[in-house]
Amino acid sequence: MSDDANADAGAAGNASATAADPDEAATVSVDSLGKTYASDRRTVEALSDVEFAVEDGEFVCIVGPSGCGKTTLFRIIAGLEDATSGAVTLDGSPVTGPGTDRGMVFQEYGLFPWRTVSENVAFGLEEQGVEEPARSERVTEMLELVGLDGFVDAYPKELSGGMKQRVGIARALAVDPELLLMDEPFGAVDAQTRDMLHGELLDIWAETDKTVLFVTHDVEEAVTLADRVVVMAANPGRVREIVSVDIDRPRERTESEFAEYVERIRGLIGE
Amino acid sequence: MSNDEVGSGVALSETEADDRLLDRLAGFSSEQTGLAVAGFAGFLAVWHVAALFQPTYLLPSPVEVLAAFVVELTAPASLSIPFTGAELPATRLLVKLVQSLYHYVPGLLIGTSLGVFAGIAMGWNTRVDSVFTPVTRLLRPIPPLAWIGFAVIWLGVNHQGATFIVAIGSFWINFYSAYGGVEGVSEDLKEVAATLGVDDDWTMIRKVVIPAASPSIMTGIRTSIGQCWMIVVAAELIVGVGVGYEILNTAQNLAMDVSVAYMLVISIVFLVSDGLFRRVERRVLEWRA
Repeated sequence: MSDDANADAGAAGNASATAADPDEAATVSVDSLGKTYASDRRTVEALSDVEFAVEDGEFVCIVGPSGCGKTTLFRIIAGLEDATSGAVTLDGSPVTGPGTDRGMVFQEYGLFPWRTVSENVAFGLEEQGVEEPARSERVTEMLELVGLDGFVDAYPKELSGGMKQRVGIARALAVDPELLLMDEPFGAVDAQTRDMLHGELLDIWAETDKTVLFVTHDVEEAVTLADRVVVMAANPGRVREIVSVDIDRPRERTESEFAEYVERIRGLIGE
Repeated sequence: MSNDEVGSGVALSETEADDRLLDRLAGFSSEQTGLAVAGFAGFLAVWHVAALFQPTYLLPSPVEVLAAFVVELTAPASLSIPFTGAELPATRLLVKLVQSLYHYVPGLLIGTSLGVFAGIAMGWNTRVDSVFTPVTRLLRPIPPLAWIGFAVIWLGVNHQGATFIVAIGSFWINFYSAYGGVEGVSEDLKEVAATLGVDDDWTMIRKVVIPAASPSIMTGIRTSIGQCWMIVVAAELIVGVGVGYEILNTAQNLAMDVSVAYMLVISIVFLVSDGLFRRVERRVLEWRA
């Protein structure tokens, strides 16, 4: 699928591409965000005073050990959960619930099993009231972007994990969000496929010029992808440090610079 | 979802799909078919031998039943069309069957629609659920046939009475399957839909909840298609028409061969309707893994 034709187009933040529209990507601002879960017995502080900002068109990864609240953070930015204190703002307006300005990609894909590949991608467009033939055109465009144009009528059950996640990405991008929010999207695919998807994601990012916020527990994945890495610590979940990854793309894991970043971030996490 | 195919993966090829079909057909291997035929033949043989030593009114033989079946299937009778007063030429068996269908079809349709509707409403909305749960718990254990008294008082000894009983039976089956199906819809899918712009209940129900619950809803409908044939027979014993009544009526006249022939009608109709619905189900749920 992803012919290597465009595999090297992943140079950072290049806005030349065939982006479907002139919409700007979003800036995200997370301000002294706190989240406490209270049950009868005890209260758990999942997030404490989390603060960082993501620039327009930037690719930011959030890494941390399990229990550091990165998924909670993801859900709050997505608008699927409320914060206990603080706020998330997107281009200056506070997030109050889910919306199509943020395209979500989930670890477990979240595809609608009763819809074919193209129907899954069309879902958000239907909700936006995009009529035919514009809808089909957009779906085709998205499926070409993720290299799935040969599988329009397949059901999710017929796809491998990597292909499912490509559908997930195409579906999230179809409604043209300003921010792409991804929660361990490649956590359930094998290593080989993951490497390939990393390259494809960077291509897509370069082509569409979206802001990407990518949650992962895999430090190498974060260093491969991100402009900056938000390193989190657990108990309570908080930002330990924000690391700028200054390596040209495409990045090779064998480079010594790459290994240094990985070492440094692992040290911060305490792995 | 850890059963990830290796690599970027390829959709199931035609051959793989064919293999699956073959596997399914292989489920009906020649050995199994042979055993099934032998089992059925054995059943008929035991029945036949047992019947040799009994008068027909105690135990009719398979041959006598078949003969009675043919007689009923061919004996002329006239079929009166309700509300029109028109009479059509038909056969005895056909007349009884059509009478039963008058109870079965509307009862099934009404009960299924109401049951699915109520199940979705209660499964979706926790407040509706809280309000109606005590009532459903109280009414659920009552067998449909127990309502026969009301059916007779409210609707009279007629088609509507039996329809009413059938509707109650299919209501409960479909209510619980729809309710369970809706409750089991994954939160993830609802969240995905919300992030893709679904922001009202009706759209969520229509585009996510009902499709996601459809396997469960379809199972309920299929179960009720079968169960309602049992219920219709019981209901007709009281309202005095249809195949169900004929089973009892002929038995009371010791025409056991005819009685068993009508039992056979129930079996055949069940097998046909279940088989047809299975085909529908397979098509509708083609997406299911």
